[in-house]
Amino acid sequence: MPVSAGYVAREATSNLWRNRLMTVAAILTVAVSLALVGSALLLKQGATTATVRWQQGVNVIVWVDPGASGVQNQAVHSQLMQDPLVKTCTYRNQAYDYAEAKRLLPAQEVAATQQSDYPSSYRCALFNPSEATVVKQEFTGKPGVNSVEFQAAQIRTMQNVIHILQWVFLSVAVVLLLSASVLILNTIRIAIFARRREVSVMKLVGATNWFIRLPFMAEGLIQGIIGSAVAVLVVLGLYWGIGLNTAKTVANQGSLIAQMSMSGWEVAGTCIVVGLVGIGVGVVGSAFAVRRFLDV
Amino acid sequence: MITFQNVTKTYKGTTVALRDCTVDIDKGEFVFLVGPSGSGKTTFIRLLLREEVPDSGRIWEAGREIGQLSKWRIPYLRRNIGCVFQDFQLLPNKSVFENVAFALEVIGRPKHVIATQVPQVLDLVGLTKKSENLPGELSGGEQQRVAVARAFVNRPLILLADEPTGNLDPKTSLGIMRLLDRINRTGTTVVVATHDAGMVDQMRRRVIELDRGTLVRDQARGVYGVDSAVAVAGAGSPTGSLTEEAPGPAVDDLEFIAQQRRLGA
Repeated sequence: MPVSAGYVAREATSNLWRNRLMTVAAILTVAVSLALVGSALLLKQGATTATVRWQQGVNVIVWVDPGASGVQNQAVHSQLMQDPLVKTCTYRNQAYDYAEAKRLLPAQEVAATQQSDYPSSYRCALFNPSEATVVKQEFTGKPGVNSVEFQAAQIRTMQNVIHILQWVFLSVAVVLLLSASVLILNTIRIAIFARRREVSVMKLVGATNWFIRLPFMAEGLIQGIIGSAVAVLVVLGLYWGIGLNTAKTVANQGSLIAQMSMSGWEVAGTCIVVGLVGIGVGVVGSAFAVRRFLDV
Repeated sequence: MITFQNVTKTYKGTTVALRDCTVDIDKGEFVFLVGPSGSGKTTFIRLLLREEVPDSGRIWEAGREIGQLSKWRIPYLRRNIGCVFQDFQLLPNKSVFENVAFALEVIGRPKHVIATQVPQVLDLVGLTKKSENLPGELSGGEQQRVAVARAFVNRPLILLADEPTGNLDPKTSLGIMRLLDRINRTGTTVVVATHDAGMVDQMRRRVIELDRGTLVRDQARGVYGVDSAVAVAGAGSPTGSLTEEAPGPAVDDLEFIAQQRRLGA
């Protein structure tokens, strides 16, 4: 039997209004926890764009001269592999580095260049990151080597801080999301209790189980959606408020915020994740309540 | 219409609510289910509503064996069964009309069906003038009429009533019984669980008596108990008072008696 959407919406909203104090509490908890999830995701994305070259334990980058011969390139590779300070090395060709530069550097800098201008590179992890200066001295000036770059201590510290912050945000968010689910569960339990007469009459006259369940499920869903909408506003506020939407230019290259800047698409992705988690929390909370407290 | 075959139901494995109960109720019958409290009357009704399943034995209802019914089909079974309780179970914040209409709304009946069927059934129970009142503004008898209207509005094959007159005075009870009788005349099978001896004695319909879960008597045109059977036998006309005292539309007495004879009582 079809359940009319109008009926479900009407019943759910009247339930929410009847029990508005608990509803507000549940929505706020969803909003706060999802805002934290969103911030953690923004932080992660920002850190990724700011430190993309230093991801996955890369400590030293050896840029190969774009004009180096195959033999020279090979020699650099075998020297790196034999170096006792070097743990692992990954070769990145010109196409990779060109693509990376387009992503990381201000557009007007990249516009004047083409792929063949870019060096290929070796991304190396060291046994001990603090010995990067030794490796730099070793390889600078070798035939075929254009330059050697190493991960500065500040970048390492920043990465660590961001990493810790991210985990703190996420674990607080998980706890809050759990309590949000419980609050939603509780509001629906109260709604079921308040309407137990209606429910028993509905069962008696042969309303289908889904007809009885859906308004309560919709109620949880609405709480989740409103909560995540508030959280999305917070995320967008952060994005514009602290200037994460600033385009990278030659002038602002030194600023951390500019380094962490990201495209609107990435923020949209974060918002979608926040929205989906909100809907999930609402549905899970109400599904539990309906299963546990609505005997149909 | 209803068949119990060796039905046994116990609660928590020890309390026997029904023991090896076998009974047949035909389409269009009017049956009283009598017995003291705890004799299994309510369990009988709950089994028919499929709120309980028997421990052993089988139950057929409206052509289906309901013990085999999967959970999602139960609502569709209940659409063929109307049910009335001692405590009316009306929704206090809905008007009389809305209470009856609710039963059709929640099974997805379209608005125009509700708009025609609800006034019809309210007319049948004699509450057309009070359709906008809230249940709290009605007397007990009127509230029970609303409950009957709600149970009957979907034209069920079977109407079950569990102590429908338990909260009502004798005169009002009589009105409710007359109403159930009228509904029975439309071809609806009616089963009334009651310990209202006076009512059973007046109506002289089939009586099924339960005692501590066992079926001890199944009597056509029966009376409540052995004592009252003697009393009624001495009083002469058993059906007389039903029509003399009752207000409202008169029960067709001749038709009433004719039906009794057809049933071979």
